[in-house]
Amino acid sequence: MNLLVIFISAALINNFVLSQFLGICPFVGVSKKVDSAFSMGMATTFVMVIAAMVTWLVYNLILEPFNLEILQYVAFILIIASLVQLVEMFIKKVSKPLYDALGIFLPLITTNCAILGLALNAVTKEYSFSQTLVYGIGAGIGFTMALVIMAGIREELELVDIPKAFQGAAITMIIAGSLALAFMGFAGLI
Amino acid sequence: MNNTAKIIVVLTIISIISGGVLAVLDSFTRPRIEDYAEKVKNAAIYDVLPESVKVEVIKVKIDDEEREVYKAIKKNEVVAYAFQVSGSGFQSDLVLMVGVSPDFSELNSLKILSQMETPGLGTRIEEEWFIEQFKGLKLKPSVTYIKNAKPSKDNEIQAITGATISSAAIVDILNTEINKVRLAMNK
Amino acid sequence: MNKKPAIQELVKGLWDENPVLVQLLGLCPALAVTVSAENGLAMGLAATFVLLCSSFLVSLFRKVIPSQVRIAAYIVIIATFVTIADRFLAAFVPDISKSLGPFIPLIIVNCMILGRQEAFASKNGIGRSLLDALGMGLGFTMTLLLLSSIREILGSGTWFGMQIMWKGFGWKVMVLPPGAFLALGCLIAGANWINSRRKA
Repeated sequence: MNLLVIFISAALINNFVLSQFLGICPFVGVSKKVDSAFSMGMATTFVMVIAAMVTWLVYNLILEPFNLEILQYVAFILIIASLVQLVEMFIKKVSKPLYDALGIFLPLITTNCAILGLALNAVTKEYSFSQTLVYGIGAGIGFTMALVIMAGIREELELVDIPKAFQGAAITMIIAGSLALAFMGFAGLI
Repeated sequence: MNNTAKIIVVLTIISIISGGVLAVLDSFTRPRIEDYAEKVKNAAIYDVLPESVKVEVIKVKIDDEEREVYKAIKKNEVVAYAFQVSGSGFQSDLVLMVGVSPDFSELNSLKILSQMETPGLGTRIEEEWFIEQFKGLKLKPSVTYIKNAKPSKDNEIQAITGATISSAAIVDILNTEINKVRLAMNK
Repeated sequence: MNKKPAIQELVKGLWDENPVLVQLLGLCPALAVTVSAENGLAMGLAATFVLLCSSFLVSLFRKVIPSQVRIAAYIVIIATFVTIADRFLAAFVPDISKSLGPFIPLIIVNCMILGRQEAFASKNGIGRSLLDALGMGLGFTMTLLLLSSIREILGSGTWFGMQIMWKGFGWKVMVLPPGAFLALGCLIAGANWINSRRKA
């Protein structure tokens, strides 16, 4: 399938957060401020792209040829967990302020269903290596967009009176509902 | 025991046990899963072919891939061909089994093998009235669709209200993919 | 340490520490598979199975697993049970397996499961860990069942496939992503409201 189509599909039409329900935990947890949302989005995209490539290689060069597909889930999650560890150490060395800013959310990227979901999807759809790469980049960008838009809205919400019961996750969900509705409009794009 | 050694031993044991359990799991679930997939495929093949035919499998090379085409034979004559085609729908891949006339001019029947479209909208492509439209549909020059009106030509179908993209996807798949098989078989 | 009576470990997962509505864990599957009550129930039961088995093993071996590699160990254990659940579903109820799609493997990264290992099973005996797992699992399943029932009835007019509302009834949006977010948001708000009334 055309690489551009895959990219646009992953980022907008079948947005990972608003359409496929992947990555909801960080979506709710890290979307309070635009800068942290953006940093989280970028860090996640970085891990997503590398994870997509490594899991593709492991599946297509090791698991499938040797009939070891049953090990797929164990292998993938271990790869992702290790990658996150490495990225953590890398960021810590390269930019301590960024490391501190992301805090606990960095290790939590491991449990971000978007990354495992991405890796599994690429295999199910039998994408080639380049298709998987583009898919990962598109998904990451879409994820970042959803987070940043939500953060922008929530920053504005700070100035408004929200009924007590709705504060926090509830209002975030409802806003997400409107965003999801809006994003459905992208369906006619291709 | 030295800590590092303990770590290595524990991890190795966990991996071995996990690997062992999964190997056993694989050996007794894999055949069942493959059998089921085979059953579904065969049922679909016979579904889109006319009654009482003998089916012969031939391999055809399309897009650098070897695919199976099923020849339907009745009284030593080829009466139809069946094969699987797929493409992207609105939010999922659509996999169809189609049955065509020997000269690829008419679609005998089609069956949707797999779809994960929007529930209540795109999933309606599996509704009987929609599928019925495809029986006997003319494939030349190409299949088209119309919205909110009954089809007026014999190569036209009516799209589902609210699921135009899913309907259009089916039409697209029929046009592009059936053509590929036709060309590969020199018809 | 003040230990709660054992039955409390079970009950807390049902409401006070409900994984979805209070702890906000497992939101991804809660939104994705709750299109029909049948799917919601299947997901809940599968997750409960994984949680029970994982908690059992983690608690059993909690004194043996070195701290530095505990997360990796938990992950391998969880991933193994998820693979078992996934294969069983695919082999014995293939239709449900197909409609749950990629969300069964995603049980691996359901923060509820990893979270309970880290927070509870690694620090408590087998009995209590199993009760904790059962409570959380049931709380998760009940919440999914509630959410999916709401979405299925309002969205398609059916419940577990049986026609409940008059034919043609259906707010299609409820079975689409926006509806999922909306319904979950209202449920969370509802839970918050009930809890604040109880504390008053």
